Amino acid sequence: MRLTLLMSAGVLLVALLPCPPCRAFLSRGLDSGARQAPQHPQPLDFFQPPPQPQQSQPVLLRMGEEYFLRLGNPNKSPAAPLSPASSPLAGGSRPSPEEAANFFRALLQQLPLPRRSLNSPASPGEHEVESALGGHQEAAERKRRSEEPPISLDLTFHLLREVLEMARAEQLAQQAHSNRKLMEIIGK
Amino acid sequence: MSSTFKLQCHFILIFLMAPRGDSRSLELREAADYDPFLLFSANLKRELAGEQLYRRALRCVDMLSLQGQFTFTANQPQLHCAAFFIGEPEEFITIHYDLVSIDCQGGDFLKVFDGWILKGEKFPSSQDHPLPMTERYIDYCENGLSRRSVRSSQNVAMIFFRVQEPGNGFTLTIKTDPNLFPCNVISQTPNGRFTLVVPHQHRNCSFSIIYPVAIKISDLTLGHLNGLQLKKSSAGCGGVGDFVELLGGAGLDPSKMMPLADLCYPFHGPAQMKIGCDNTVVRMVSSGKHINRVTFEYRLLQPYELENPNGNSIREFCLSHL
Repeated sequence: MRLTLLMSAGVLLVALLPCPPCRAFLSRGLDSGARQAPQHPQPLDFFQPPPQPQQSQPVLLRMGEEYFLRLGNPNKSPAAPLSPASSPLAGGSRPSPEEAANFFRALLQQLPLPRRSLNSPASPGEHEVESALGGHQEAAERKRRSEEPPISLDLTFHLLREVLEMARAEQLAQQAHSNRKLMEIIGK
Repeated sequence: MSSTFKLQCHFILIFLMAPRGDSRSLELREAADYDPFLLFSANLKRELAGEQLYRRALRCVDMLSLQGQFTFTANQPQLHCAAFFIGEPEEFITIHYDLVSIDCQGGDFLKVFDGWILKGEKFPSSQDHPLPMTERYIDYCENGLSRRSVRSSQNVAMIFFRVQEPGNGFTLTIKTDPNLFPCNVISQTPNGRFTLVVPHQHRNCSFSIIYPVAIKISDLTLGHLNGLQLKKSSAGCGGVGDFVELLGGAGLDPSKMMPLADLCYPFHGPAQMKIGCDNTVVRMVSSGKHINRVTFEYRLLQPYELENPNGNSIREFCLSHL
C-alpha cells in the first residue's frame, strides 16, 4: 500500500515538473502532440508563415541525434513529399516554389547571423563590427552549421529506380560510344 | 632428296626472304616516322584521352553512374536540387569542384553527402558508416575550395544544391577509385551476384538492392580456418558475434528495416529467400576477430511472384518466404 502510494506520488511529481526544452513538436493538425516551452529559446522553432500566426510551427522533426529537414510548403503537412510524382527531371519544378522560397527565407532570417540575412545589405559600420567579431562568429557559425538539420530529398523508390535505369542506359550508351571510337582510332 | 639438302634449301630460302622482310620493316618505319610503338604514340594517346572525358549538363534532379564532367547552370531559380552518384560496388566516388559560381551569402548552397539520403533515411546507416552524421555533409559554402575533392566511403554519394540566380552554377568532375573491400554497397541493377568480404574488421557492412528480389545465398563463411587448428566460428545471432542478416523495408536506412532472417553459422549450398520489399539488404555484422565472407545472387521478382506468394509470407510487411 505504502509502495503504491509512493509510486503514485513519484508519477505525479514527474508529471508536474517543468519539462526540459522540447525541440520536437509537430506541425498543425497534431495539436495534442505540440509542446510549448516558453521559458527556453527555441532555436529550431522558426518556421512561421506570416499571415497565419495561429498555425503550429515546425516542419522540422528531431529523431535522436539526427535531424531531417523536409523542404516544402509550410502550409502542407510535413509528410507531404517535396517533389511531385511526375517529371522530377523537368527542371525540378515544385508545386509552390515561391512559397518554398519564402519558407526558407523566413528560416534564414530567424537565425542570429547577420551575414546570412538575405534582404539586409550591411552598412560600413556593420562591416567593422563584423570584422572585429569575425573569428568568434566563424566558430559560432561553424557550430551552428554542424547542428543544422541535414538536408534530404523526398523521392519515391519508383522515381529513384527510374532515374537509376536512365543513368544505366546512359552509361551503356557512353560505353558503346567509347568502344566505337577506340576501334576507329586503332583501325587507322 | 636427302634431308641435309632439304635443310640447306630451307636455310637458303630463309636468307633470301630476310632482306624482303627488312625492306618491309623500313616501309613501316617511314610511315610511322620511325616510331616503332605506333599504338602508343602521343597523338594517339591524346586522342584517346580527349574522347574518354564525358561531358554533359547536370539537371536539377539527376542520377549519374559514369565518370565525366558535369555542369549545372541555373536557367531559373532552382531551390531544391539533388544529384545522385552511383558507381560499381568495388568503386569509390570522387567529386571534384572544377568551378563553382554560387551566392552563398544569398542563400545558395552546394553540399556533398557521403552516401544517399532519401526522405530522411540514409544509406549507409549511422551504425554502418565510419563518420558521424555531421561529417558526412561537406558544405562548399563552409569549406570553400579547401576541400576541393571529396571522396565517398562507398559506391554512392550525392549532392544537394540551390542556385537562385540565373546564370550561376558549378562544374564537377566525377571519378571513381578502386575499393578493394567494398563494405556498404547499393546495387545498380536488380540482378547480380556479389561476394561481401570483411577481413578482420570490426565493422558492419550492408549490401542494398532497391528492388524486390529473390536472394540465393550460396556460401557463408563466418570465421577463419587456421591451417593447424580449426577455430570455432563465432556463434553469432541475437546481435552477438558475427552473423549475416537479411533485411527488408520500404526505406533506405538498414537500421530502420525489418530483419527477415539471421544467418549465424557457416554453410555451403544455396538458401533462397524471396523478399518482396522495396529495399532488400544483406548485412554482415563483424567483430573483427574473423574473416567473414558471404556470396549471394539476386534476381528481380516478377509481378506474378509478388501477386501470388506461397509458403510463409508476411503480407502485412513484405512478401518473404523461404
